[in-house]
Amino acid sequence: MTELHDTGERRRTSDTPPSITDLIDEETVRSIVQEAWSALIGEDELLVPLPGGLPENAVSSWVHVAGPWNGIVVLTCGRSTAEQLSRELLKEHAPPVIEDEDIEDALGELANVVGGNVKAVLPGPSALGLPEVGSAPVAGSDTRRVDLLWRGQSLTISVQGSAGAPLDQ
Amino acid sequence: MRALVIDDSRVMRRIVAGILEDLGYEVQQAGHGREGLDVLNGGWVPELACVDWNMPVMDGLQFVSAVRSNPAWRQVTIMMVTSESEHGQIVRALAAGAHEYVIKPFTADAIRDKLALLGLLPEEVVL
Repeated sequence: MTELHDTGERRRTSDTPPSITDLIDEETVRSIVQEAWSALIGEDELLVPLPGGLPENAVSSWVHVAGPWNGIVVLTCGRSTAEQLSRELLKEHAPPVIEDEDIEDALGELANVVGGNVKAVLPGPSALGLPEVGSAPVAGSDTRRVDLLWRGQSLTISVQGSAGAPLDQ
Repeated sequence: MRALVIDDSRVMRRIVAGILEDLGYEVQQAGHGREGLDVLNGGWVPELACVDWNMPVMDGLQFVSAVRSNPAWRQVTIMMVTSESEHGQIVRALAAGAHEYVIKPFTADAIRDKLALLGLLPEEVVL
């Protein structure tokens, strides 16, 4: 017969999942994104913490994080910014014409890298989903959003709790 | 020297393959673990496999386990190249048979340093 041990932990039905704003601050998100940009785009590529306003044709990529904290990490920028990012990622290996598939792939990979490093500072263990690309999932109140300028173009990173954003869009 | 780069991101495959080709490697690419195993089963057995973790069809950990279960592929050194940076995940990959672990984002120098540690820099690069 299995003996049950009391660990002293108690979970009440009133327990609510942790809010993302309690788990990660803007500076941590910014430093994660800056590290990704410096390593993958170029070591001199600075991200300026200023809001700039996204264009109408903005595109988003995101990854799900599932664990003690559930939600998504979303990268959003204009289509032309996404194309420039793809070209800078590939550098000398970039083809003459960047196809839509490459742009979506590059944007998804950036979300994957940022999401993986955001996950690392959240309570774990957690699972990271595969990147998705499309229209920005709706952000709810449980969101940590960082607005940045890269080469004068706007991009945003938002870490959105599942309570605040429907995940199956 | 030969290297197999396995990642579901075509862009990331090109980046890693480009770094390795610049070092003198002959590189093949695969979009997930199952495609990687197909390359090995086809007789193209590399000295190095750079493997992402999260992929559709067959993930990186499953690929590592499959390679390690086949003695004919003992020569393949496996380096995980992934955004999975939790300590527990790194331990799992190394326990399954990966030799090294590179966390994304990485630089070309980081890949080169890991290869030097593994003794997998082509001679002309070392000299």
